[in-house]
Amino acid sequence: MSVKQKEKPILEVKDLVAEFTTAAGRLRILDGIDFSLFPAEILALVGETGCGKSVTAKSIMNLLAEQVCKRRGKVMMDGVNLLDLSKKQMRSYLGRRISMIFQNPIASINPVFTLGEQIRRLVRIHMAGEITRVKSELGCTTAAAIDRLAAANLEKVGLTDVDQLMRAYAHQISGGMAQRYRIATAVLGNPDVLIADEATSALDVTVQAHILRLLKRLSAEKNTAIIFITHDLGIAAQLCQQVAVMYSGRIVEVAPTAELFKNPLHPYTRGLLKAVPQLSRKTGLEHIPGTIPDLRNPPSGCRFHPRCRQAMERCRRLRPPLVETKSHQVCCHLYDAGNKEAAWAKS
Amino acid sequence: MGEVLIRTQSLRTWFPKRKSLLGKPGAWLKAVDDVSLTIYRGECLGLAGESGCGKSTLGRTILQLVKPRSGSVRFDGTALRNLDFRQLQPFRPRMQMVFQDPRSSLNPKMTMLKILAEAIRANPDHDGDSILDQAVELADMVDLRPEHLFRYPHEFSGGQQQRICIARALATCPDFIVFDESTSALDVSVQAQILNLIKRLKQRLGLTYLFISHDLNVLAQVCERIAVMYAGQIVEIQESGRLFSSPGHPYTRGLRDAVPIADPEAKQTFVSIKGEVPSLVDPPAGCRFHPRCDFADRLCATRVPELQRLERHRSWIRCHRYRQLNFNQERR
Repeated sequence: MSVKQKEKPILEVKDLVAEFTTAAGRLRILDGIDFSLFPAEILALVGETGCGKSVTAKSIMNLLAEQVCKRRGKVMMDGVNLLDLSKKQMRSYLGRRISMIFQNPIASINPVFTLGEQIRRLVRIHMAGEITRVKSELGCTTAAAIDRLAAANLEKVGLTDVDQLMRAYAHQISGGMAQRYRIATAVLGNPDVLIADEATSALDVTVQAHILRLLKRLSAEKNTAIIFITHDLGIAAQLCQQVAVMYSGRIVEVAPTAELFKNPLHPYTRGLLKAVPQLSRKTGLEHIPGTIPDLRNPPSGCRFHPRCRQAMERCRRLRPPLVETKSHQVCCHLYDAGNKEAAWAKS
Repeated sequence: MGEVLIRTQSLRTWFPKRKSLLGKPGAWLKAVDDVSLTIYRGECLGLAGESGCGKSTLGRTILQLVKPRSGSVRFDGTALRNLDFRQLQPFRPRMQMVFQDPRSSLNPKMTMLKILAEAIRANPDHDGDSILDQAVELADMVDLRPEHLFRYPHEFSGGQQQRICIARALATCPDFIVFDESTSALDVSVQAQILNLIKRLKQRLGLTYLFISHDLNVLAQVCERIAVMYAGQIVEIQESGRLFSSPGHPYTRGLRDAVPIADPEAKQTFVSIKGEVPSLVDPPAGCRFHPRCDFADRLCATRVPELQRLERHRSWIRCHRYRQLNFNQERR
């Protein structure tokens, strides 16, 4: 970890707030998100439905319409706040610096163009230098060079039968192949950051394993940092170096993976880990009582307090501060400096 | 335990594909192909497998929601296959189903009370005047309060909606319930609540379950035995603990190893089964798994392996080579 600390983060999210205007009024879906992402790091963003994982990703990528979603805060990449950029300026970042893949790979491919047409367009946009290099090396036409590069990129993600694949449409390929294709298109501009939003949740476990291995390899080879959004703690444990746990629009705990699983601090993280069914688990499951809060009327103070077995009086009143321990960052009154005795007595 | 509740024998459910001009099917999608299995009274049998392997179709065929093409299903000693709609009526209340998406399986125009009342009336043994009392009791069984009875489905969270579906299934006093991916749409913390509820109800009411899920972790929590399905066939049936500690079939092993473990110290490499799920219209000859199997030999490619009984209690396997492949460290 010490090496990481010396490095400069590639992406820094500071106090990110996202508010949606809906018929039910203003909903604050993200309520001050902070995290940093370092080069070649895989960060898991875990949490339950509706906690704001996907909105975090889409806010970073500027994919939400300004009319519905108001964003505040900072998403810093090389000293530039991405939130200040216009859609047009953002284009020079998308695909080159930061890229994203989605849960449903088939739906995120344009259904009316062949896979070949789509990847060739991306090669033309993102790989201009490569195209000229291939042209001079092989003495071929531009079109042939583009074809060659497109095929090479598809092979890199483990796709076979590339010629046939390039002539196919999205609905003609399987989910696993579609996700590989999407990864190929997402990383061909060599982005520094790749956001994977539940990228394997719609796939079978066997296919999921292939995709996870591919992402791990890409991250190691190309130094790509990945934000892996998931609700599956198993993936977080096996794939990621760092885990951030989200609850109701806030990050409640961030820690290196081994630390988080061995020594979870936040009561929500603890509850979540006990609720995960595991093959090896002999004892029964413990569940967290209650349900996720209604964002139209979020709980005061700490948003987890109505479901927390260790809630104190102050949890109802005050938003918990970010407490940094040796390895964790945790938002909980139990670890508050003025409240230390309580923490150790109760843990 | 030991009494047989359900027994299927070489059950086949095929769906017609590509009809010709005269309406004759040109090909069949063999969703369930030669499935023989036994469910004992009081047990929870898990059914695992990848999407499209025929898990749900098997569940529906057992309940006679889909008619099989051949083979038999016996429920409590009675063969169901040749019964018509009317003759099936007395069996319907005894076999229930809970689906994956609770929202779409509840009528949005009915209050919870009406939903339950409809099911209570379907039970021939009910006494007409105590429907409200029974509904209150059912609500209590699934940890909902009496005042919830007057609410509509959209006023409930996903977990609560699934509780209503479970209460509705219980309303007819069934012997047997099929859970078809019933917790897959729920978040982990809520999923744990529902799984605990399902387990508790089985104990309390002496129910028998067929629990269909793609998630091996979930099956390990609730099932005593697990059947693994691949391309329309059962490849292995084992006691749940043993299935994971010493799987007999190469497919079971591949499936187990692909599940991410929520423990960073168990260093996984994401080595998984190569290739993709075969088409059910034209499945591979011989053992259906052989093109993806690392241990396949010539026999596997030509001859279909039979489902053989293992010496162990209630365990079955469909593999030519399981005796040579020894995935387990421990023997018996």
